[in-house]
Amino acid sequence: MQPTFKMIDCRNFAPVDVAKGFCHVRKQMVLADGEACEFFEKLPKCKHCLHYLPAERDYLGVCGAVEARPLTYPDLIGVTCEWFAWRPAD
Amino acid sequence: MSKKLSQVLEETGLPLHFQACGVAPEEVVDREIKGEPCPRAKRLRALYYQTLSSATNEFPYWYTRAYMELDSEVPVVRRGLALRCAFSHLTPTIFPGELIVMGKAHYYRGSFPMPWLSEGYYMAKEDELYQAALEKGSASADEVSRFGTGGGNVTQSFGNVVSIAGKFGMRQEEVPAMLKVARAWVGKSVDDLGHKYEQMVPGYDIKEAIMKAVVCMFDSGYTLPQGREVTNYYYPLQYGFDGLVEMAREKKNQVAGKPGGDGMTGMNRLYNYEAVIHVLEGIQKWILNYAREARRLEASEKDPAQRKEYQDIAGCLEWIAHHPPRTFREALQLCWTIHVATLNEDAISGMSPGRLGQVLFPWFEQDIAAGRVTEAEVLELLECQRVKFTCLDCFASTGVVGGVLSGNTFNNLSLGGLTADGAPACNRLEELIIQAAINCVSTQPTLSVLYDDKLPEPFLLKAVACVKTGAGYPAFMNNRVAIEFLLSQYGAEGMSLPEARAVAIGGCLETSPCSWMPLTLNSTTYLIPGGSGQPTSVGVHFISLPKILELVLFDGVDQRTGIRVFSTHGKQLASYEELFEQVKAYFARAVEVLSLTNNIQHDIWRKNNMAIFNSLLKPDCLEVGHLINELGYRYNATHNVETCGTINLVNSLAALKKLVYTDRAVTLDELREALREDFGFKAAAEVGSYSLADQEKKEGGDRYDHIHHLCLTAPKYGNDDPYVDAILKEWEAWLCAMCHDYESLNAAPYYPCQISVSTHAPMGAATIATPDGRLAGTTFADASMSAYPGTDRNGPYALFTSATCWDHSRSQNSQLNFKIHPSAVQGVEGARKLLDLTRAYMRKGGFHIQYNIVDSKMLRDAQRIPEEYRDLVVRVAGFTQYWVEIGKPIQDEVIARTEYEGV
Repeated sequence: MQPTFKMIDCRNFAPVDVAKGFCHVRKQMVLADGEACEFFEKLPKCKHCLHYLPAERDYLGVCGAVEARPLTYPDLIGVTCEWFAWRPAD
Repeated sequence: MSKKLSQVLEETGLPLHFQACGVAPEEVVDREIKGEPCPRAKRLRALYYQTLSSATNEFPYWYTRAYMELDSEVPVVRRGLALRCAFSHLTPTIFPGELIVMGKAHYYRGSFPMPWLSEGYYMAKEDELYQAALEKGSASADEVSRFGTGGGNVTQSFGNVVSIAGKFGMRQEEVPAMLKVARAWVGKSVDDLGHKYEQMVPGYDIKEAIMKAVVCMFDSGYTLPQGREVTNYYYPLQYGFDGLVEMAREKKNQVAGKPGGDGMTGMNRLYNYEAVIHVLEGIQKWILNYAREARRLEASEKDPAQRKEYQDIAGCLEWIAHHPPRTFREALQLCWTIHVATLNEDAISGMSPGRLGQVLFPWFEQDIAAGRVTEAEVLELLECQRVKFTCLDCFASTGVVGGVLSGNTFNNLSLGGLTADGAPACNRLEELIIQAAINCVSTQPTLSVLYDDKLPEPFLLKAVACVKTGAGYPAFMNNRVAIEFLLSQYGAEGMSLPEARAVAIGGCLETSPCSWMPLTLNSTTYLIPGGSGQPTSVGVHFISLPKILELVLFDGVDQRTGIRVFSTHGKQLASYEELFEQVKAYFARAVEVLSLTNNIQHDIWRKNNMAIFNSLLKPDCLEVGHLINELGYRYNATHNVETCGTINLVNSLAALKKLVYTDRAVTLDELREALREDFGFKAAAEVGSYSLADQEKKEGGDRYDHIHHLCLTAPKYGNDDPYVDAILKEWEAWLCAMCHDYESLNAAPYYPCQISVSTHAPMGAATIATPDGRLAGTTFADASMSAYPGTDRNGPYALFTSATCWDHSRSQNSQLNFKIHPSAVQGVEGARKLLDLTRAYMRKGGFHIQYNIVDSKMLRDAQRIPEEYRDLVVRVAGFTQYWVEIGKPIQDEVIARTEYEGV
């Protein structure tokens, strides 16, 4: 079953604030937690990264891209991350 | 039903008048001048109105990740690398319609916490260290501070959004990581380390008691360690970022391994330049990330006009990431980028752009002459820039952001003043800046006119027209007084008269040292002004003067908490002179302890958290190779002692002198009892209003009516009454001299800073009734030269005479807020009257005056139905704020201010 994505997970979503953002495709304000639409394009986030290792606690993980294995979290945006690589399943 | 104070006074033949020089019309009168932004700015501002204040963990995450991996690195390089990592990983967001881009975070109104300064926020609810911190003084100030409940403040959690500190919203999915990041700083933050060492100061227990009793609000070393200063855009504008990197590399080669005659810090220059390079390269990457985002949007955009705008944005950013700007737009974008970068480097309020119209004039002049830009296009850019400035938020504690700043960030743009050779410095671009502020009323940047008699009448009338919008700006600062202060304070560091003329206002109204720099554009050289001093409002933060008096009257014990703050003075206070001397003695003891502890906090800050980017912008850091922590700035004598409640202190001393010591109408013990019993009134919090007039009597609370009546009718400041003015004059003479007796960590004398910002509300909330008749918990008089509401009855010129009974040039500032009904300054004649009024105060030697042109009835209406007043702005202290984002105590205080119906 395909996971359900939210607007906040979309590359076309420009976050105005914590609750809403602007959709660059539909040219309108949308809710951050609204369900993704047909134009959905996945935003690089740690949870989609090859190097991401989930931790036991919710919303926490580990970055396996570097030897120190620092803390990270699934929703950290990765568009500027030099280590980001799409996980094959993603 | 309980009687209100206003009713009680009416019945005793002493009505409270909050109107002076006439009677306001019965109907609500709107402001006369109303501007209209260009459609683009209007859309962007409308978006701001819908936007919630939003915080993200992105910058803290990347900063902390890099910092913790570098624990054996030289501190300045470690910080430089952490900043580089954080800047280069920020997610770029560009919103359609924007011409000026880039922001603190990827939200439209974004910000983020800095746990390396203080991690207390993160720990707020679940960390045991925070629970221990509740025993520390800072929590007391938070308890008495209030945010506004409307506008963009996220006062409560909802959905997947967590409210932090009653103002900022953070996505739930970021919160656990935020807490983890915060824990990494426990015991390492400036707050924690500073606390560890400040406890070694003899008398530290007094400091703890001072903070718990809210005698002082806030340490500056870990709350807002920088700001209240003027930034300097010169170096990137002249050399570009590539040029600066190259300069730092060359300097690095010159100094590597060489002490240069300085065995203490000479060797540090190598590491400093290395850190500078890291930060500059991180900022270049940050800019280029935005450029890449603009290219991405350009590629997918179907609308040709919007596509072209993305293309232009990308082109602009790709250029300024490396090179000096070629056009006005590039220069404006670069200045904005520099400004945001500075704000991201540290927790800062009051990083003022300074005389931006004079800084940008070379590009404006040459672009206009060459036909590269029109004035209409410049105006549109300036209006868009106003919206960007307004979107700035500062993430700090409830007490600091709500209680001191009222959510404002104090980006003060100065206008006018003089050139280095003493000619009027205003120009056509500054007139457009004023026009943009008229068209696009918003809170940022606020404007300040450096008033000089030489400034041309049309320019000053333009400024007055802007005041008449009711936006509260520009404020008028006395250029001559400011220059005299600068020469007095910075003469020892070599400041000359021409250099002093570069002055601009940092933060609300902090007179700040600046310098002229030679900028060459297309073979023409201009002298442009820019900041060259350290933060000018750090050190001993706001001391509550009425609270000092309370402690004197009650032998060192705070009456709200029962805490002993100072050791007993054991005096009978048998004479007025003995009383006044004890006020000075307790105040001096507070300054002594707080200056020592704050010196330690700032020293910890500069050891591990020094400004690198802000330093490289300021003369003469790049030349000498020393940053702020090694006094690389041209002017370093910048620490101050801030006070609050001056007029309540002065009025109270006048009441004590007359009632207790001269007329002997009441004994000191009787008065003490009346104060403790709040003259028979209910607590302000119980009444739900912090304005004097609204306070209600307790059932059977008539016992102190006579004493209260005597206190209220005692002589009051603001009426040209020598009885009171002599007390103010003596206090100011003593205060301005005593500050010089304390030494900042830069081994320079402190100076007084006399502004209230918003502290008069929380400090009033923490103070019992005062001998001037003010009731417990109610707000103090605002500013430092404003009369207590309703007590200035002899017109504005009497107020001016009272306010200027002392020499304002001996203080960094003074502040006078003046509320005028819109009908009093209508038309051309009204504008001239307002200018004449301003001129009169300046010529008398007043440092600062600013106006609220507003009908108090409108404010009451806005308090009742805030949803209809989202765009209403008022002048609070040295800043303008949206009505709906101000806490109720300050709203009540602004409503209560004396409203002048004629000038």
